[in-house]
Amino acid sequence: MRTRLPAVALIAVAALGLTACSSGAGEDSSTTLTILTPASTVPLDPASSQNLATTSLSLLDRRLTTWKVEEGKDAVVVPDLATTTGTQSDGGRTWTYTLKDGLKFSNGDPVTSEDVKYGIERSFSDQLTGGLSYHKTLLEGGSDYRGPFDGKQLSSIETPDDRTIVFRLNKAFGDWPWIASMPAFTPVLESNGAPATYAKAPITTGPYKVESIKDGTALTLTRNTHWSAKTDSVRTASADRVVFEEGQNQTTVVQNLLTGSGKYADAFGAQYLGAADLSAASRDAQGKQRLATSEAGPIQYLALNTKRGELKDVRVRQALNHAVDRRSYLLASGGSAAGIAATTLITPGIAGRQAYDLYPAGTSGDVTKAQQLLRQAGVSGLKLTMLLQNDSASLAQGQAVQQGLQRIGVAVTLKPEDAESFYVDAAADDKPFDLVLASWQPDFPSANANISPLFDSSQIGGGNYNLSQYDVPEVDRAIAAAQAETDQSAAQADWAAIDRRIMQDAPVVPLIYAKQSFLHGSGVGNFFIPSFPAYPDYMTLTVGK
Amino acid sequence: MSVLRRLLRDPWAVVAAIVVVLFAAAAAAAPLITGLTGHDPFTYDLDALDGTGAPQGAFGGVSAQHWFGVEPLTGRDLFAIVLWGARTSFTVGVLATAVSVSLGTAVGLIAGYAGGWTDRVVSRIVDVMLGFPSLIFMISLTAIVAASFPRPLLIVLVIGFFGWPAVARVVRGQVLSLKQRSFVLAAQAMGAGPFDVMRRQLLPNLAATVVVYATILVPAAIGTEAALSFLGVGVPPPTPSWGRSIGDAISWFSVDPAYVAFPGGALFLVTLAFNLLGDGLRDALDPRLARRRPRSAVAPVVEEAVTR
Repeated sequence: MRTRLPAVALIAVAALGLTACSSGAGEDSSTTLTILTPASTVPLDPASSQNLATTSLSLLDRRLTTWKVEEGKDAVVVPDLATTTGTQSDGGRTWTYTLKDGLKFSNGDPVTSEDVKYGIERSFSDQLTGGLSYHKTLLEGGSDYRGPFDGKQLSSIETPDDRTIVFRLNKAFGDWPWIASMPAFTPVLESNGAPATYAKAPITTGPYKVESIKDGTALTLTRNTHWSAKTDSVRTASADRVVFEEGQNQTTVVQNLLTGSGKYADAFGAQYLGAADLSAASRDAQGKQRLATSEAGPIQYLALNTKRGELKDVRVRQALNHAVDRRSYLLASGGSAAGIAATTLITPGIAGRQAYDLYPAGTSGDVTKAQQLLRQAGVSGLKLTMLLQNDSASLAQGQAVQQGLQRIGVAVTLKPEDAESFYVDAAADDKPFDLVLASWQPDFPSANANISPLFDSSQIGGGNYNLSQYDVPEVDRAIAAAQAETDQSAAQADWAAIDRRIMQDAPVVPLIYAKQSFLHGSGVGNFFIPSFPAYPDYMTLTVGK
Repeated sequence: MSVLRRLLRDPWAVVAAIVVVLFAAAAAAAPLITGLTGHDPFTYDLDALDGTGAPQGAFGGVSAQHWFGVEPLTGRDLFAIVLWGARTSFTVGVLATAVSVSLGTAVGLIAGYAGGWTDRVVSRIVDVMLGFPSLIFMISLTAIVAASFPRPLLIVLVIGFFGWPAVARVVRGQVLSLKQRSFVLAAQAMGAGPFDVMRRQLLPNLAATVVVYATILVPAAIGTEAALSFLGVGVPPPTPSWGRSIGDAISWFSVDPAYVAFPGGALFLVTLAFNLLGDGLRDALDPRLARRRPRSAVAPVVEEAVTR
């Protein structure tokens, strides 16, 4: 998933805050978690959601599988509604799941495999767009299917009985257990599934159900009494109520959490801190204890348009890799608390990542080496345009890249665009720019999700995210082979080799693995930010005491 | 000459004029000055920052090296940024005013002199333009226009375009009264064409009004440029701009309050000085008006006594 502001709005829309709420005169032991989000609404329809398995929707919904995230360990996929993470047959083209016993919706109805199938089918509808769509291209017949609202079913999802669901894929795909953790794999009751009304009153399977929705103000969740911890090995559901306070100003959130009184003791911010807020929090005595920072996170990189002008020459692209000033870039992002220098495509926290550096250039870049490569390529007076987002954080970072490349005589013109136009233009078929300052956090913790969306030639243009227009048949074949590999350790070795192979062509300049920092109140426990996903784990944090 | 003498008798106008001239000179000589200080507004100085990207030292890192401290996250010299920012402000301010004044004078002249339907149509257009939510329109325009179009020129044209109606209205009013005067009628009687009358008889008599208006339009244009840059649609970085610096400084206020003070102070001083100078000029050019303003120690007492 592309990251930065909009992605944050999509994904990280939850903050937990528990306040010991005193109702009436007597002391009440119920706990309320308050989640402070800048978004004006928390989207609740899983079919159009890009939510990570561990953030806001995980409080309401369960999927076939989910993620177990522990401090200091790589995320693993674990069963959620299903009894296993999936049983494969036919060489990884068919995946079978059995639902656990005794699963119920928040209205008391039993959860059946038909409900899971219906939930997935909904995500194909034109009325519900914008959700994660990995399954849409993998399920057989998925490219021609238009959703269940005109009475049609997707035949590649079979439900032989109420508890069994079988997926037939159009190719072998070893990471399918991760795909089954995505929002679309949430069961939805057909009577509740109308696209226009579902998000107003969803019937849920997770530990919470919706109490009230006031867009722009707050979303309040209360316990779903039909949820049972016995069938759920991941969620702790520590708070009795969860309130998402919407439309929060980030600077105000930071001040409130640093003060940490009242409801802000049992609260956290859903948006990671920008450089200025991070600097302010790290100066605060309380701030150090209430700040949780990941060791790494999304990769921020400079995509080089390999189909344009001098950038077609691999030596020029390699020169840019040597020339870029990562030290300036890191400081422009907020210093050592905001990231670490990046040299690989697979991000830390993804199993099987191997560290390497094909273009060793020290902390500030190797100007001599870069100039030498440019001379070899016979290029001088290079002028490039850089597409980037028009917010102060991106502009600071863009200027850091700009001044770094200035040192080898490459003049970069910044082209800042608002988030919406940025994503449209960056992912367009015809790209009238040379560089894009981009950021990517995988949608699931597999190297596959690091690499294939960014470097497979099928992902060029049409709204896809191969921003470098990188098109090498050899790499495409290697990606397809690694995706089909169902043995995890063999697949990981394949991906590590592909990572290196792609960087030999230097279609991007990896800049930093962004660390993401979040603030929480003193009453919030088990609050940590893993390298992946670099967001709080809403399912397992605790409140009160 | 008498105009200059009257202007020199107004201490506020003199101080304002000095401030404007100083800033203008500093803006014009910015590359020379930053060449002498050894810090241009583009070079990073990461050693002036601490580990979080905030300036090291008090008041945003004010030191003998960096007189105004440094910019957070980059370590660029804030003195150089403010100085070069004056270049941006003055260039945009003066050029946009030139656009406004030439458009406004031309339209006002034609409307006032031609009268009739032309005048009615033009006056309605001016009314619409004056009531137009121009800032919102400017923001959307800067978002729509192709990126290949040079951004500073676009800013000049856009700000200039929204400044002309005020000028046009005043010029039209002046022309309406001027064209009844005997020297204009005489010129017409002797067979001068409309273009000739406008150029030789009317324009010279409009000069004073236009100069005063221009002096007041410049700070307005500077303010608008700062507003656009503050909102992120002004001149693109790394070209320094006070508005963008102020915008960036807001999130740093709790850590580095000095960051907002220097570009903010410069913007405040320049707009105030231009406005005072404009007031002073108006008084100097139109002595009757000056009498009515509570400028001398005696005048206000008299006036207050009368109004009571």
